[in-house]
Amino acid sequence: MAAAAFGRWLRFRRGLQITGRRVAVCEQSHSYRFYSGNTAHPKVEGTDITGIEDIIIPRKKTWDKVAVLQALASTVNRDPTAVPYGFQDDPYLIPASAMESRSFLLAKKSGENAAKFIVNSHPKYFQKDIAEPHIPCLMPEYFEPQIEDVSEAALKERISLRKVKASVDMFDQLLQAGTPVSLETTNSLLDLLCYYGDQEPPNEYHFQQTEQSEDLEESSEENNEKSKGKTAHQLSCTWKANNNAERIFALMPEKNEHSYCTMIRGMVKHRAFAQALSMYTELLNNRLHADVHTFNALIEATALIMSEKYEERWNNILSLLKDMVAQKVKPNLQTFNTILKNLRRFYAFGKLPALQTLREMKAFGIEPSLATYHHLIHVFYQHGSPVKGHSLLLIYSIMKELEGKKFSPLDLDDDKFFQSAMNVCSSLRDLDLAYQVHGLLNTGDNWKFIGSDSQRNFYYTKFFSLLCLMEQIDVTLKWYKDLMPSVLFPHSQMLIDLLQALDVANRLEMIPQIWKDSKEYGHTFRNDLREEILMLMARDKHPPQLQMAFADCAADIKSTYESQEAKQAAPSWPASVLNCIAILFLRAERAQDAWKMFGLFRKHNKIPRGELLNEFMDSAKVCNSPAQAIEVVKLANAFSLPVCENLIQRAMTDFAMDPEQKNALGNLTALASDSDGDSDSDSDSDSDK
Amino acid sequence: TAERTSKSERQMRRKALPPRAEKMAVDQDWPSVYPVAAPFKPSVVPLPVRMGYPVKRGVPMVKEGNLELIKIPNFLHLTPVAIKKHCQALKDFCTEWPAALDSDEKCEKHFPIEIDTVDYVSSGPSIRNPKARQVTLRVNCSRLNLDDHAKKKLIKLVGERYCKTTDVLTIKTDRCPLKRQNYDYAMYLLTVLYHESWKTEEWEKNKTEADMEEYIWKNSSSEKRTLETLLQINAAENKMQVNKEELLGTKEVEDYQKSLTSLKNEGENEITLSQYKESVKRLLNFTG
Repeated sequence: MAAAAFGRWLRFRRGLQITGRRVAVCEQSHSYRFYSGNTAHPKVEGTDITGIEDIIIPRKKTWDKVAVLQALASTVNRDPTAVPYGFQDDPYLIPASAMESRSFLLAKKSGENAAKFIVNSHPKYFQKDIAEPHIPCLMPEYFEPQIEDVSEAALKERISLRKVKASVDMFDQLLQAGTPVSLETTNSLLDLLCYYGDQEPPNEYHFQQTEQSEDLEESSEENNEKSKGKTAHQLSCTWKANNNAERIFALMPEKNEHSYCTMIRGMVKHRAFAQALSMYTELLNNRLHADVHTFNALIEATALIMSEKYEERWNNILSLLKDMVAQKVKPNLQTFNTILKNLRRFYAFGKLPALQTLREMKAFGIEPSLATYHHLIHVFYQHGSPVKGHSLLLIYSIMKELEGKKFSPLDLDDDKFFQSAMNVCSSLRDLDLAYQVHGLLNTGDNWKFIGSDSQRNFYYTKFFSLLCLMEQIDVTLKWYKDLMPSVLFPHSQMLIDLLQALDVANRLEMIPQIWKDSKEYGHTFRNDLREEILMLMARDKHPPQLQMAFADCAADIKSTYESQEAKQAAPSWPASVLNCIAILFLRAERAQDAWKMFGLFRKHNKIPRGELLNEFMDSAKVCNSPAQAIEVVKLANAFSLPVCENLIQRAMTDFAMDPEQKNALGNLTALASDSDGDSDSDSDSDSDK
Repeated sequence: TAERTSKSERQMRRKALPPRAEKMAVDQDWPSVYPVAAPFKPSVVPLPVRMGYPVKRGVPMVKEGNLELIKIPNFLHLTPVAIKKHCQALKDFCTEWPAALDSDEKCEKHFPIEIDTVDYVSSGPSIRNPKARQVTLRVNCSRLNLDDHAKKKLIKLVGERYCKTTDVLTIKTDRCPLKRQNYDYAMYLLTVLYHESWKTEEWEKNKTEADMEEYIWKNSSSEKRTLETLLQINAAENKMQVNKEELLGTKEVEDYQKSLTSLKNEGENEITLSQYKESVKRLLNFTG
């Protein structure tokens, strides 16, 4: 009995794996109420465990450190009214436009970088460590090489710290001193040089500010290189002939495969294609084998040689592949992706080889990644050229194949797939396909492949425009509420698309709401958006309540124009805007505001429309003020509008006026009948409707 | 010195957006809005709460900018809906309760020892908390196989860790730096106490009446005196000589013994006192 109890006690301690979660045996010290029996005591009746009913204590489950958190996280979804969590959730501090959100995030990141810089520059002040367990990434890092003497260990250290110039100097010193440098170290030095193209690593890396101030006095070319950003650095960096890498390569007493491969890959990375191919022939002459990465680089080099025609380049690629087979090098995913990426450049010629490549890939049993499909889409749906024939159906077969699949990052270009897919959907005007693509995005962890901010914005812009175009208005509005602002800030064009969709669906009552939202998204001063809104509101007559809402909205827009006017010297009221606002005020029976607008016509020298003047006349009649009627007539006369005569007649007939007013009208009639060319009518020059 | 901001700068100054509680749907998913413990954000919580001491003829202050609402802990992330969802998600981590243990008594019967430990969670640079190493072990002494002497010895050994009313022995350990060590130490203590209380040492024979936990009539002064008195009464009345054992066997003496023991052990109350009176009367053959 003691043995049985003992066994059970042990069983209580061990754990069982849960399927689906990453498991490690960890110390679980949760408080448990009951403990099975006494193990080491002399057994007397009473604590008999193996009684009539067998008490089976199940094995304890173990799980990963974050498994519980992940389980709890699966219960919450995205909050549609919130901005991404990186921002402070306060009405004053939420970014109001896409540019602001970007600058907020950049500010936050630059603060972190500044703090890191301070910590790394003065490590002796940051030694105290109160975090338990120890957090290594918060401790200061050391970037200066510690070993000072001239030795291979010092060289290795400088290589690991990524100091290109220092390691080359150290290498030269070692050679001069006569000490041989081992093949491995030389290879790693070559790796460093080829990766960075014989330049120093870019600015942000390791905050080598102090070193750069010394380097400023040296070659100015290097200076220019460093002052650019990281991507510019790598783009502008080309392989110079006889640079350090080549020199060291020539100096090496013995070279193995690794050296050749590194040199080839470095050359291809920095766009020295012909040299890379000649190095490859040298490699073959020495009867060495290249590895799969080198072959990938060579394929890219072959494809990018501008001087040859497409067929020749394709044949060269095929011969390279045959070499691979001969050298018994197995191709990997990168090989096929590189081939497909470069087939894009072959335009129409690349379609058939692309399909062949895909079949080869399947034959090898290599699972295509999202980048593969991205390149395929680009091969078949070239920008600008019409899509015809069976290439039209390619996207459908791709989506059918991808349905429900979850991807993991395998290639650098994986994050471009969704944009290109949505682009194709948008050009094909196919909403179901777009829903399929979006569904794939939401499967499992695929949302990680949406890419950077700009890529995400592009994707959702296209998606939303397609929705506005093709989908029912209720569904569109639901998507609108769902996507903004938690996923992205809409571009003003997206809002205009939405407004047009509302127009088609006859839901113009949503316009004031859309205007309010536009202000939140930073489009307060966008001219095209404001004009569109005003135009849509002013076009037709609506029931009175709606008209009031429209008038309020118009007043709001008017105030934005006014505030803009105060800031800039030159006022910029377009004529259509004035027209629309005035009409809206009149229809909502806000006569005073309307007459203020009336005054603005003359002030800004913009022509009012004929119907507008008629409406003003109606309003004047309602207020029964002949003075206003005369104002209207004067304005019409000033711009020499054809409707002037009508107005004058109406004024005469509808209003009861005193004799001098009648006289004034009479004069105007006389003037009007003398055609145009009167007073300050430069209306023709700035008539914009 | 602060410069006066020009008119254009004042107009450019940032305006606050309307609070996003206005945009929230009535049937939204609240656990998504407050997924974790977060401070109270007035623009996010759509409730018109007020808090604060009202000045005379005033009302408590609104929620915007209200420090009182931010200071207090809020459980907006643990609404019943959220808790239900969490429990559902955490079910995967749990194993089944053994079917045989379906009542408290059975649990007590099969698993008499109870261990209490506490884990502490706080936000800060360190996850360690020195209070987490304490372990409390509780066991019902009736489940330990102790005879009379062992139990008395155990109680003397543990002192105030034993609770008389519930008959529960509680051992709290925190002298080791780790919880597991403290747990082992507590189990070790229990083992040692058990074995020690079963052993009888030499010097235990020297237990005096002052060391006794309860009153035992046998071999006490009261027994001697009673027997002497009864013998003398017998001798005075010239009855047959009875010896001590016979006297001890009589019912009156037994009654007297019981009542005296209960009086001394349980204290003085109506019942024990009346019993004592009755037994004394019967012992000394008083009538009435």
